[in-house]
Amino acid sequence: MPTIEEDAVPDFCSKPVLILGIGNVFFGDDGFGCALVEYLETHFDVPGGVCLQDAGTGVRKLLFTLCLSQVRPRRLLIVDAVDFGREPGEWFEIDPAEIPVVKLDDFSMHQLPTSNMLRELQQQTGVEVRVLACQTGPLPAEVCPGLSEPVRRAVPEAARWVAREYFDASRDRKGAEGRNTLVNF
Amino acid sequence: MGKTIVIQPVTRIEGHAKITIQLDDTGNVNLARVNVIELRGFERFCMGRPVEDMPRITPRICGVCPWSHHLAAAKACDAVFGVTPPPAGAKLRELCNSIAYMEEHILHFYFLAGADFLLGPDADYSVRNVIGVLGAAPEVARRVVRVRHMCAKMLEIIAGKAIHPQAAVPGGFSKPLAKDERDQLRKMADEALELAKFSIAFAKESVFPKYLDVVKSLGVITSGFIGTVKDNGALNLYDGKLRLMASDGSFDDFPYDRYTEFIGEHIEPWSYLKFPYAKKRGGFSLEDDAPGLYRANTLARINVCDFIDTPLEQAELEEFRRNFGRPAQLTLLYHWARLIELLYNAENAIRLLDDPDITSLETRVKVTPRAARGVGCTEAPRGTLIHDYETDADGMLTNMNLIVGTTHNNAPINLSVTQAAKSLIHDGKYDQGVLNTVEMAIRAYDPCLSCATHRLDGKMSVKLDIFDAQGSLLDSLAN
Repeated sequence: MPTIEEDAVPDFCSKPVLILGIGNVFFGDDGFGCALVEYLETHFDVPGGVCLQDAGTGVRKLLFTLCLSQVRPRRLLIVDAVDFGREPGEWFEIDPAEIPVVKLDDFSMHQLPTSNMLRELQQQTGVEVRVLACQTGPLPAEVCPGLSEPVRRAVPEAARWVAREYFDASRDRKGAEGRNTLVNF
Repeated sequence: MGKTIVIQPVTRIEGHAKITIQLDDTGNVNLARVNVIELRGFERFCMGRPVEDMPRITPRICGVCPWSHHLAAAKACDAVFGVTPPPAGAKLRELCNSIAYMEEHILHFYFLAGADFLLGPDADYSVRNVIGVLGAAPEVARRVVRVRHMCAKMLEIIAGKAIHPQAAVPGGFSKPLAKDERDQLRKMADEALELAKFSIAFAKESVFPKYLDVVKSLGVITSGFIGTVKDNGALNLYDGKLRLMASDGSFDDFPYDRYTEFIGEHIEPWSYLKFPYAKKRGGFSLEDDAPGLYRANTLARINVCDFIDTPLEQAELEEFRRNFGRPAQLTLLYHWARLIELLYNAENAIRLLDDPDITSLETRVKVTPRAARGVGCTEAPRGTLIHDYETDADGMLTNMNLIVGTTHNNAPINLSVTQAAKSLIHDGKYDQGVLNTVEMAIRAYDPCLSCATHRLDGKMSVKLDIFDAQGSLLDSLAN
């Protein structure tokens, strides 16, 4: 029987693994993270210990809460679109701690506050934070939903990587499901 | 030599904004401009789409207050289809609105504006942030975080998810509330009410008195106000009529589907954002106490209502008016008004959960496409939110206009920043504390750009450039 304390914690804090797809679906390739979450939901069996959310442009609210919460996931994966000057559709992992300060300004069109909170989570709370990023093509200045062909092709490939890294690992550790990081501030 | 100071938040989720302060030849402030880049092309993107998609699409506009767009869109759809949701449908929507408000107002008071008030505008950047607030008042922070958790959980229980909600549909609400869910929510609402009571008492005792001088001087302008009231004049944040009050306290009441008769939208070449003004009071003018100038958001709503129909908040309203009159004009009183609203929403959530209608299985009515115009309006945390749709006979959108909360405050924010800058920058001399204080004037309005200006590591995403009269860069500062 859960206590009211446990009842009051939202899934994105209480599950051991949190995967957040972020971005703005109105602006072309910026919707990569959201598209990847949708692909995972429709093509894979998401384990019970994984909270998978399309956070869209609302990710900061979740990260604020995570930073301040006493109950947090053990592992956090952020899936986002970035402009790192690579080939559109190329996807790769970024360590938030390795983002040079001078790069914060142009990390992405909407990443600055998010990236700082990710660094806080990684460095001060013990949560394993990873970022899966996809290089975008040119982003539209006005509302224009839909991924470019190179980024669209990257979605299933990246989804398979996420499933392998997070879904399989979660199933391998079924006994640990439901446990999460309790941190006092 | 005249010069220009630009305070520019470098990047943010929902757009960009910059503050430009132009000095005259003596180094004093000539004018200040706050420029917000809004979502462009959205209306065109929506044309030709089924109107019932709007409650699902519009929450994507803003990651900060998706519930407000969701509910305004659902109400506009009701009007387009010519239906009235059953009582349970309307009450579940209002319940979600109140919970989303609590989450927002708590975040803003404690973790955005809170850093200014709890730690002071002159505090070093390394402590003037969320972590600084935690360190300054850890027990308070613990309670706050717990209730924010509960608000997110409550929305999950009622609507399935808190981000990108889809539960409100044309004609009502998609999911009835089970009685055991209601019981679970009721306990959480009790705890939220306790935090709301604590928050306003804590602020009145430990926060506002320390900054009363700042409250009385920073960003002060004189304007009218807009907000929603019930037919009897009581405060309401989900539904009612619009009240547009002049600075002398006189007002016009009108149904929100007649907003175009009362609200004009002015365009300035230097701003992407329109400037709404009170049409019947005069034309647009970017001047203090201009007849058409009005403000939205918490202070506006507290000013326009005749009373609040929940006892705790009515007592707070009476105390507020004894201290500051009606309409109260001091810009930093937005924070005080926000706490009265926090209390109202907590008590309103309990009132709705105690209403037997809330667990009725009849939460929606059927809708049929038709050619029509429909206006939906709610009070978003940042101000009156209007969605105006027109459809053809198949229910496809043919026209659309949105006025969001921050837009109503476009002119007032510019005037408050000008006032703050004029009072704090003299003979070309300024320091970081002055610039923080100018930002405080903006943050009081809780515009969408406010959230991103606080970075969790203590630094502000702000860049400051100084130009001479010829446009050459004299100095560039960043923190």
